[in-house]
Amino acid sequence: MNKRQSRLFAVVSTALAAVAFLGMTVDSHRQFDALTNAKNITPAVAHGKDVWHKYNCVNCHTLFGEGAYYAPDLTKIAQHRGEAYLHAYMQDPSKFYDETRHRRLMPKQNLAENEITDLIAFLDWVSKVDNQGWPPRPILVTGASIPGTDLTTEQQATKAEQGGSQPPGARPVGSGQDPIALGQSLFRSVAPACAACHSVAPGVNMAGPSLAGVATRAQQHIGTPDYKGQAKDAAGYIRESIEHPSAYVVPGAMYSANGQSFMPATYAKELNSEQIDQLVAYLATLK
Amino acid sequence: MRYRSQQVAYWYFAVAMLLFGLQIVFGLLSATKYLGPDPLLYVLPFDVTKVIHTNLLVVWVLTGFMGATYWMVPDESRTELYSVRLAYWQLALWAVMGVATIIGYLFRYGTGNKLLEQPLPSKLTVVVVMLMFLYNVGMTIRKAGRFTTSEGVLLIGLGMAAVLYLPALLEFENYTVAIFYRWWTIHLWVEGVWEMIQGGFLAYLLIRLSGADREVMEKWLYVIVGLVFIAGILGTAHHYYWVGVPHYWLPIGGFFSALEPVALIGMAMYAYGAIRRTGLAHPNTLALHWTIGSAVFTLFGAGVLGLAHTWPSVNKWTHGTLITAMHGHAAFFGAYAMIVMAMITYALPAMTPDRREEGSSLGYWAFWLQIGGMFGMTLSFATAGIGQVYLERILGLGYLDTQLKIQVHFLMLLATGGIFALGVGAFIWDFFRYRPRFEVIEESAVRAGAPAGAALTGASRIRAV
Repeated sequence: MNKRQSRLFAVVSTALAAVAFLGMTVDSHRQFDALTNAKNITPAVAHGKDVWHKYNCVNCHTLFGEGAYYAPDLTKIAQHRGEAYLHAYMQDPSKFYDETRHRRLMPKQNLAENEITDLIAFLDWVSKVDNQGWPPRPILVTGASIPGTDLTTEQQATKAEQGGSQPPGARPVGSGQDPIALGQSLFRSVAPACAACHSVAPGVNMAGPSLAGVATRAQQHIGTPDYKGQAKDAAGYIRESIEHPSAYVVPGAMYSANGQSFMPATYAKELNSEQIDQLVAYLATLK
Repeated sequence: MRYRSQQVAYWYFAVAMLLFGLQIVFGLLSATKYLGPDPLLYVLPFDVTKVIHTNLLVVWVLTGFMGATYWMVPDESRTELYSVRLAYWQLALWAVMGVATIIGYLFRYGTGNKLLEQPLPSKLTVVVVMLMFLYNVGMTIRKAGRFTTSEGVLLIGLGMAAVLYLPALLEFENYTVAIFYRWWTIHLWVEGVWEMIQGGFLAYLLIRLSGADREVMEKWLYVIVGLVFIAGILGTAHHYYWVGVPHYWLPIGGFFSALEPVALIGMAMYAYGAIRRTGLAHPNTLALHWTIGSAVFTLFGAGVLGLAHTWPSVNKWTHGTLITAMHGHAAFFGAYAMIVMAMITYALPAMTPDRREEGSSLGYWAFWLQIGGMFGMTLSFATAGIGQVYLERILGLGYLDTQLKIQVHFLMLLATGGIFALGVGAFIWDFFRYRPRFEVIEESAVRAGAPAGAALTGASRIRAV
């Protein structure tokens, strides 16, 4: 190959690559509107994008996995957290996370009310963009439990000595007929997944409180004067909490505001009664 | 120095050095915040230190490119620069824009668009500066009427870099479309036209340092450029996988990204081959270290570590983790920081004649501390990133809990970052410790493309002066 031929190679290969690239760019433009639900880009969403830029969010967080790696990815955050939660969070993140524990904290941004609302609208739009199903499994903000180790080995040993049963995470999920097993599977698979906010490991409080021992606590709550709900037993309490999350709220600014729980109140509609029965059956085993 | 006007390069390099030092300060500050808690949470939060860290990188590397071009073009075209005054005005405008933009970031004055955070006035200044620069260089070559291939590749690279900055000036309402065009600037810069610029400098340095035959070197330079663009242009697709584009970008991105290392393997073989064939005869062995180092570290950082996570089924899990930081640090350092330091190290003895041509021992310390430090930082990001992918993406632990579990890698990052900073400090100190004296050497003492044995030695330089 002489110099003229090598120059020809450089020019032709660059030109071919550029033509192919531009062709796909044109075709992508034909599809962008459908893939991104462009019709849903309301003025609020557009303003929310400006808020996202104005506060330099992308230089700590990622969106579609792009940005900095100092804070959690927010691509699907609007599906993992309800609007009420996100609203309260953006007013003051320090109420939700402890810098001494996690070693980092989001500084309070002093956002105006409409900025918060529009930013949430933007994040909601982002969460619905058709992006080849990424991330392949939910990226959670917090949650310290590795699957199968919902109790530490030490705790499991203690339980075994006392003649206790296997911890929930170690119990086999097998029989298609077992409502408890089906409930446990629903716990991770309903939308939004219960497991996105609730751990079943003791002391692991995520966006929602840990459900370890929820059946025992339910029994105790029912008896107290604070409890204003209708439930008569632990199973009833759990069912009520799924269907009407605000009937009784666990104290804490990260769980509720003005007596309204941050937990989505959509399960009563989204799940059929059989599925709720299975979830209740599973959760009632967490004694 | 053969042409008086080449001295403008010194001042470009000096500005680049100061900004490089500042970049490392903000890098270390950002790394410290990974260990937390952060006492500067409300003074200088992470987003601000990070934005300054990355923007300073781009500004100092471009300053270095411009200085190196002003050094190289007179040599290649055998003429004085068209306008020294324009070059100084350009530097002043560029430096003022850079510093003002950085100060603006401290007050959150920026666009919040990753790597294109520069506010509109800064962006417009960048365009003006690029036009001044291209005009000056273009007129120099026109005046001389001598245009070499290395110079041509360099100039097309610089010109395309200016053109590809234009999409950065556009606003898009649809965030997905905005991302799509953001990569036209960022990706096509760093994995396209900047590699042309690197290739141009590399060819120039290899011809001068090893005395390799110009015809052969320039022929292969074209091949490298062709390979860079075949893979680089369509490789843009690896940034598109998960942002809301049609599915076909995935296989396209996977295939052409896998080809990207080919050009970089070519570049490393090209550099190694040049020194093997001709032997090391140029006295400036330190510049040769940086030159070969750049080609090899590019292959490692940009090529191998890029390939490690651009395949779609791998990227699905690693996307948006510290794996990207691993690749980014090694790639930018190898390809762009090192090639600028190679040009500086090559040009400096001619502008500061008290300096030994073959480089001081401090200069070698600077080289090896930077190489070692950056290698350690890359490993720290890699181990942290692998831990993060496994715990957070695969096992499903929360982001914050995962970050706590990989703290030890952040300690390692800070330690190796400290080593790297020492190397940078040594390089900067070595740069400034000799006063510049701009003496023009007789044409006969240096002959471009001469066999290696005839290259300029310390003794012949003194005779020539």
